[in-house]
Amino acid sequence: MKSYFNRPLLKKPHWEWEVVTYLFLGGVMGGSGMLAALAQRSEDEPLERTSRYLSLALSVAAPAVLISHLGRPERFLHMLRIVKLRSPMSMGVWGLVAYGTFSGFNAIAQLARDGILPRWIARLEPAPLTVTMQALFGAFTAGYTGVLLSATAIPLWAKGKYHIPAMSVCSAVAGACAINAIALCADPSGGPAQVKLERFEACAAAMELAILAHFRAYAGETGKPLFEEERGELLRSWTIGAGIVAPVLINAASQARRKHSKRPSVVHTLLAGVLTLAGGYVLRKVLIDAGKASADDPAQAFVQPE
Amino acid sequence: MANGFFTDTTICIGCKACEVACKQWNELPSDGFEFTGMSYDNTLQLSGTTWRHVAFVEQDGAHAPDGLRWSMMSDVCKHCTHAGCLEACPTGAIVRNEFGAVYIQPDVCNGCGYCVPSCPFGVVDVIANLAVSAQFSTATLHEDRLRERQTALQGHGGVAGKCTLCYDRQRDGFVPACAKACPTESIQFGEIEELKTRARARVQKLAQRGVDASLYGVDWDRSVGDLNAFFLLTDRPEAYNLPSRPVLPSTRQPAAYGAAAAAALFLFVCGIAIFGTKT
Repeated sequence: MKSYFNRPLLKKPHWEWEVVTYLFLGGVMGGSGMLAALAQRSEDEPLERTSRYLSLALSVAAPAVLISHLGRPERFLHMLRIVKLRSPMSMGVWGLVAYGTFSGFNAIAQLARDGILPRWIARLEPAPLTVTMQALFGAFTAGYTGVLLSATAIPLWAKGKYHIPAMSVCSAVAGACAINAIALCADPSGGPAQVKLERFEACAAAMELAILAHFRAYAGETGKPLFEEERGELLRSWTIGAGIVAPVLINAASQARRKHSKRPSVVHTLLAGVLTLAGGYVLRKVLIDAGKASADDPAQAFVQPE
Repeated sequence: MANGFFTDTTICIGCKACEVACKQWNELPSDGFEFTGMSYDNTLQLSGTTWRHVAFVEQDGAHAPDGLRWSMMSDVCKHCTHAGCLEACPTGAIVRNEFGAVYIQPDVCNGCGYCVPSCPFGVVDVIANLAVSAQFSTATLHEDRLRERQTALQGHGGVAGKCTLCYDRQRDGFVPACAKACPTESIQFGEIEELKTRARARVQKLAQRGVDASLYGVDWDRSVGDLNAFFLLTDRPEAYNLPSRPVLPSTRQPAAYGAAAAAALFLFVCGIAIFGTKT
């Protein structure tokens, strides 16, 4: 196709590691909120504890990284001057605020339950409501980043309007399972929760893999920046190999070995967890980098995906 | 009332007076002095600090019976009816002003950069460090714009930049700097409907002379709507590095939110099945 000296048509975002890290941490954060609700529903106290504390910690850490990329941190407040339904970035900020608020309530209640704060505080918590809200906003914060990417002109991200948001949610849940399983190593009664987290993680990872595979076939030429050359290698070795396949194998091996003991070994859990998280980080990194490469190809930008 | 540009590429002589006038009026710093070696186009693209860009389209073959044909085109922000950047902006810094232009308020912009990939035409960019332009005098800027610029300049951190359709000049009743400087009236400024009438007449006139021209951004069926800065082209849009099918990025949101919600719902169901109701 004839172009203008093959010059890029589109501008690429100037997002660097801060945004990649935010996408990753924000996902794990949202996933932890979803786990908090599942834990409450099954009255799994050890998981309730880790998911609530991790949710709060991550809902401080994730926005902190995001704010740092703005150059002047106080300009974050500019986003709180309006609510804009048409802007996923605006919706995401309000989602973060809401999520952080409910995470705060639930973490305070947990602190009271654990005797760190006065116990009467725990009785004030309308638990089903706040935990449900935490789970809903958790799912939202896990998924909106995918919406944010697909609502741009970048051909690769635009083409992935179904795949990228769904993939973000899956990867978020897998990462949250991993980090909560790791945290549960410190809890003597965390064994049963760890086993369930392993299963849930496998479920989310399998779905993520299926979506990735379908996206590759669906995106065709537009998907090349993501699936070919060095980014494709990173995606295959880290996200799929280390982040999806390896943890499932490690967990299966761990399961086979624990006929006598009731809980997965710490080494297995740590290894599987760290690999899952690394895979999730690389997925975000590759997605952002591939988006930048996609913006450089004018042929893909002339006729933009609907 | 909405004002805009009609850029007629058939009478552009590639003098780049529009680029210079824009830089000068808007106190925009240089982007470096580099020779591309590929053509007379050493500007290459619109950027946060380059708001007019003259493309030098060199063609041979069917378009050029005499061997080579040059087609010059002064590119600019399109000020779309439905603007991707304006919809994406999470701070409300990007607004539609009283002249119908898409305007970035630099003191409200927080440098998030989301407008940059959200423009289907690749116009907006983040000025990494606006402090560079602080070295320039701000003598010509309108009082309000000077204040905005100074607020944005405090400390570091980028802001998004693009054509303002000379908001300050318009408020004082002047024509935008590029249109004023254009020696051939290739860049025409005015009320959009009037410009469109003029542009349609121009296409007909060219047709009578055997020149196959078409309007880009007028009466078209695109999600970005008609362009307030539209063009008369004599070749396919791709030759000028314009998308033949631009799409308003926000139109993908329902599908994207739907996919995320479906995935979350499915995982919740899986989670309930796995975790059960009691340990």
